[in-house]
Amino acid sequence: MTVTRPLPIPDDHSAGYWAAARRHTLALPRCARCHSFALPPSETCRHCGTFEPEFRFEAVSGTGRVRSWTMVRKASLLGFADQVPYLLVDVELSAQPGLRMIGRLLGEPADPHLDDPVQVVFEDVDDDISIPAFTLVRETPGRGDTPTGDEAGR
Amino acid sequence: MSGRFPGGGRVAIAGFAHSAVQRRLDRSLGAITVEVARAAIADAGLAPEMIDGFVTSALFPTAGTHAVQDGISTVTANWLADRIGADPRYVASFQGVGQIPGSVALAVNAIAAGAADYVVLHRALHNPRGGYHDNSMTTAAGPQQWTAPQGYGGPLSMIALPYNEYLQRYKADPETMAAVVVEARKNGARIPWSYWFDRPLTTAEYLTAPMMSDPIRRLDCDIPVDGVATFVLTSAERARDLPHPPVYIAGYASSGPHRERLPSHWPLDDIMAGGCDTARRLWAATGLRPEDVDLPQLYDGFSPFVYFWLETLGLCPVGQAHRFVSDGGIDSDAPGALPVLSGGGALGNGRMHGIPQMLECYLQLSGRAGDRQRAATVGLACHSSPHYGGAVAYTREPL
Repeated sequence: MTVTRPLPIPDDHSAGYWAAARRHTLALPRCARCHSFALPPSETCRHCGTFEPEFRFEAVSGTGRVRSWTMVRKASLLGFADQVPYLLVDVELSAQPGLRMIGRLLGEPADPHLDDPVQVVFEDVDDDISIPAFTLVRETPGRGDTPTGDEAGR
Repeated sequence: MSGRFPGGGRVAIAGFAHSAVQRRLDRSLGAITVEVARAAIADAGLAPEMIDGFVTSALFPTAGTHAVQDGISTVTANWLADRIGADPRYVASFQGVGQIPGSVALAVNAIAAGAADYVVLHRALHNPRGGYHDNSMTTAAGPQQWTAPQGYGGPLSMIALPYNEYLQRYKADPETMAAVVVEARKNGARIPWSYWFDRPLTTAEYLTAPMMSDPIRRLDCDIPVDGVATFVLTSAERARDLPHPPVYIAGYASSGPHRERLPSHWPLDDIMAGGCDTARRLWAATGLRPEDVDLPQLYDGFSPFVYFWLETLGLCPVGQAHRFVSDGGIDSDAPGALPVLSGGGALGNGRMHGIPQMLECYLQLSGRAGDRQRAATVGLACHSSPHYGGAVAYTREPL
């Protein structure tokens, strides 16, 4: 039996994320009260404590720095068994200090180091779903991330 | 508010029993648990009908798609209580992570409060057919959708990321971890019921073990097993009338609320900050200091936890655990070293989930360790990650 790669089931808390990803845009949930990003979004905002965060999905540049990585050689997710070995990177996004995201590292060179700059990219896994991943950026990408805010809403 | 635990020294372990630890035992987990529980009750000099409390943590700790069946893949406190022939006043199960300290806390609180007089605490672990953490999900709903579609799932990568973060931050040599695993296996090889009895490991064998999720090798992971352990706890006063020297519970700490993250995402800073909070509460609860502990039993279900516990407990400076280990600091046979894996841990016994740490504290402090007997007075049994687990302090004399 071949197990296929797990695909996301968008819900009320994530639909904006996956809709933006389909357009190859990283849009992250942002608290309407304190404007902090939170990943994943929760019932309350972990930054300001409001229980009415009314998270909205806002586009970010998707740049960040490598904080850690691992080469997966034994995939516990059987849907990835035919992809091993593959690299995962733990990225601190430049959109907000401490905001971390995990994704595959695609492209060459596949040799990450601490603090390497990365950029989000997307894998189109079917007609409806694109999955965020990262790629190493050769040159340091100029300025930090400035959320544009023009992808608001879900 | 001092945080000192008023129940410290008022509750003790009075007896124990332990099954063989094998990849698969030849009888059901439930049948073995009943047998081991009865043996522990007898070891404590009691009769089944005297037991009025049952506690456990019944979590089947797999990330895989395995069915959870009471009596087969796990054994709940109710399941066992129903088959021991007792009429318990107190039956409870710890739901969080750090299952053994959490269960001990339930038992201690119940006895100190008078809710039960004689409590059986058991833990039954099962190795299912198929890969322990194999997960055949093809859709990811809820929290999993933020990680599984990206290829992140299961505990191998969960521990690989903070371990690599540690190696990079402190420029540590990954080969140093051989000393942790070899130490666990050396001690486990001396324990007759261990899966690894009489099978020590060499550094060369460690270094040739296959990588699972770099820098985690197969031998950095404890091996899934079938196995059951049971302890009997009672009040300090009652314990003194029973056959074996009591071992007293001085206090405990469970890790507190942790920062919400992606599922199974444990950045090194989270582990250290949360772990230092756990340690602070433990010292406050017990009045002990790190230098008072001569039998620290650190959790090692994945080998990097040994580094994290050494540092968060203050047994060595932050960022220095790898040097402490490479300098022989955890060699249980070296005078002056800290015997943090003298009980073999999970790496030296099999995936018994915090039991080896608790059992080593009990055996050494009650004087029941036989050929392995050490002169110890204060033990610490840690479980899981310092930021997502807990620890219990045990003493030979009541504090």
